[in-house]
Amino acid sequence: MSQELIDAITDMREEDAVAITKKLLDGGASPVAVLDACREAMGIIGMRFETGESFMPELILAGEILAQISAVVKPRMQQGGEDKKLGKIVLGTVQGDIHDIAKDIVGFMLDINGFEVTDLGVDVAPEKFVETVKSTGAKIVGLSGFLTLAFDPMKHTVEALKAAGLTDVKVMIGGGQIDENIRQYTGADAYGKDAMAAVAIAKSWA
Amino acid sequence: MTAPAGFDRWTLLYTAKRRVVACATVIEEMLGWLPADVEHEVLDFGLHLRPEKLREALQARIDDQSDGADVLLLGYGLCSMAVVGLQARKAHLVIPRTDDCIAIFLGSCAAYKEQSKKEPGTYYLTKGWIEVGDTPFEEHKKMVEKYGEAKARRLTQILLKNYRRLAFINTGQYEIERFREYAQKTAESFDLRFEEIEGSPALVQKMVNGPWDDEFLVVEPGQMVTYTDFITPR
Repeated sequence: MSQELIDAITDMREEDAVAITKKLLDGGASPVAVLDACREAMGIIGMRFETGESFMPELILAGEILAQISAVVKPRMQQGGEDKKLGKIVLGTVQGDIHDIAKDIVGFMLDINGFEVTDLGVDVAPEKFVETVKSTGAKIVGLSGFLTLAFDPMKHTVEALKAAGLTDVKVMIGGGQIDENIRQYTGADAYGKDAMAAVAIAKSWA
Repeated sequence: MTAPAGFDRWTLLYTAKRRVVACATVIEEMLGWLPADVEHEVLDFGLHLRPEKLREALQARIDDQSDGADVLLLGYGLCSMAVVGLQARKAHLVIPRTDDCIAIFLGSCAAYKEQSKKEPGTYYLTKGWIEVGDTPFEEHKKMVEKYGEAKARRLTQILLKNYRRLAFINTGQYEIERFREYAQKTAESFDLRFEEIEGSPALVQKMVNGPWDDEFLVVEPGQMVTYTDFITPR
C-alpha cells in the first residue's frame, strides 16, 4: 500500500494524489492496491471529521479526489477482466433532505468495494426507492439523511418497502446523528457511522 | 400566566423561578419577551456543529443552574440530538419540541415542515446567523484562505449545489433592512432564489410565559431527555 498516496489524499493535495495514482499504476501497482490506499485515507479523513479536526470542505475535497482517482483506476480494472459484483444497492438521500456529500462518499466506497450502486440522488420519495428496488432487483437499500427531519422519511421508506412486499430487502441508514435508537425508530436493519461501516454492513449482507 | 386546560400541575411551574440557557442566535428572539426577573445565559452558536460538545456545554450549564431554579428553559431544539441525554438534578427542563432553531424562528414545527416541503433545498438566514457569521459568504471566505479562490469556488459550488432558495426569516428585529440586504446579496452571489419569510414569536412567547403545551417537552427533575420525547405525541 502506498503511504505516499495516502498522505497526498489526507493532506488534500489533489493534483499530487492523481499524479501519484498514475505513477503507481504505470509502475505496475495493482488497481486494488491503489483502492486500498484510498480506503485507508478515507478512514483517516473520516476519523478527523469525527473528532472535529476536519470540516465539510475537507470532506468535499476528499470526495473530489476519490472521484478523480476512481476515473483513473477504473478503466485499468476493466482491462483485467470483468470483475464479479458482490450485489446491487439502491442508495439515496431521503425525501425532504438534500445533503449528499457524505452519501456520495458512501456510494463511492461501496462501488470500489465491488457493489453495483444505483444512486437516486437527493430528496428521494419512498415510492421512488420501491420502484428502483423492483426494477434493479437490488437486495440492499442505503438511506441517507443529515437532518433530524430525515428520520420520519426514513421510517416511511422502510414501511413502503415492506408494504410493497419487498421483505427480503435489507435497509441500512446513515448520516448525521443516527444511532441505535433511530435505527429502531425507522425500522431499518442496520445503521452505519461512516462509509467504511456502510461497506462492512453491505458485505455482511452480500 | 395561565395554565392550559388540564395542566393544573404546571400552574406552579409557571410562577416558579425560571432561568434561560439559550443559543446565541435564539436568545436574540427571546430577550424581548423575558420578564426582568428571569436570568439568562448564552452559549456560543458554533457549538451546534459539534453536537457532543454542545451536549457537554449544556449539561455543565444545567448542573450549575439546577439548584438555583425551578425551571430551566432551554433555547434549543433537538439540535442534531445534542439535547438527548440531558438531565437536571432539581429543576424541570422545558425545551421546544422542534428539530432545530428554524422552527423556533418560524413560530412552530408545522411552519418549518411546510417551508421544507415547499423547497427542501433552502438555505435559511436570520439576523442572528448573519451576525455570528454562519453564512455562505463567510464559509466561502474561510475556504479561500485555506485553498485559494479557484478551489474555494469549486468547493462552495459543490456545497450549495442542491440549494435552490435562500430564505431570509424576518423575525421583526431592529435594523432588519441591513440584514435583508446582506441576504439578498448572498442569494445573488451564490445563484439562489431570494425569498423573505415572516418569522413568528409564537413559540418563544409560549416558552417564556406558557402554556407549555404539546409543542414543549417538560422534563421532570432527575429524568433524562430522550429522542422519543420529541416524537411521541403528548
